[in-house]
Amino acid sequence: MTDSASLERGYRRVLACYPRAFRRESEQEMLAVLMATAREGQRRVGLAEAADLIRGALRMRLRPASRPPRTVFTAIKLMYAGAAVELAAWITVVVTAGSVKSAMVHRAPAQWHAALIHLLAVEVIGPIAIGLWLWMAWANGRGNDGARLAFASFFALMTLSLLGWLAEGAVVYARAELIACAVLCLIQLAVVVLIFNKKSNPYYRPELAQR
Amino acid sequence: MQEATFLILTALADGSQHGYGIITDVQKISGGRVRLRAGTLYTALDRLRADKLIGVDREEIVDGRLRRYYRLTPAGTRRLAAEAARLHANANAALTRLNPAGGMAT
Repeated sequence: MTDSASLERGYRRVLACYPRAFRRESEQEMLAVLMATAREGQRRVGLAEAADLIRGALRMRLRPASRPPRTVFTAIKLMYAGAAVELAAWITVVVTAGSVKSAMVHRAPAQWHAALIHLLAVEVIGPIAIGLWLWMAWANGRGNDGARLAFASFFALMTLSLLGWLAEGAVVYARAELIACAVLCLIQLAVVVLIFNKKSNPYYRPELAQR
Repeated sequence: MQEATFLILTALADGSQHGYGIITDVQKISGGRVRLRAGTLYTALDRLRADKLIGVDREEIVDGRLRRYYRLTPAGTRRLAAEAARLHANANAALTRLNPAGGMAT
């Protein structure tokens, strides 16, 4: 295979990360530019080049189809922040799970069983919650009205479980977990206020804006 | 507006250009400082097209490959002019303060 053919194959492989509609429209054109800017005798896609292409693909996939109003834009950023907090909390739980379990056995043997179940639940629910945050950010960014309602239910569910948990007085996983939950609830509250703001409505329901 | 976007619009200000033309022109405009990579360029072009600041002028097939020429739309021209005026005002303010006497700095 000639140098340029193997380089082109490499570029095609990276370009496969881009959304299908974009590829249909612009792949040929981008390929021409990539080949034109390649060095003489270059056979492989450079690392910086690949990083730039992948970053472009990610940006294209994550960004909304049309520019959302500032309120929705801020809400989306907060949702990504929520995913980050959730991830940090989950990593903390997974990393410290072993020592927490042994502490439980020593200090509160009676509650040991319940604590273990709680820990397991947190370990399993964590990734689901992270995925949910990311999906909500993506779908809300696209002005999906269902996603807006889904987020409101997500908020209600989480707040209720936090309140229920406080009422039970079950401080199973120390203060840090409570704080993380409270922070997440506050982020959700801010998001709900933003996405149900009057300025956000037309983005989710364009048919109302035209009247 | 990001610098890359500003430079892309500037490259299109005196006529339509294709992707590779924009890259070389941006490099020239920025005095060799900014070398756009294809990923950055096409993400910006896609956004600018969606925002209707640029449009496709024409398409050609060169060596069996599609070559698309982009041009500024009237909205793009207005946007670039506004951004240039803003940068100009900022630069003037900075230069005036650095050099209150109004003379040339040496």
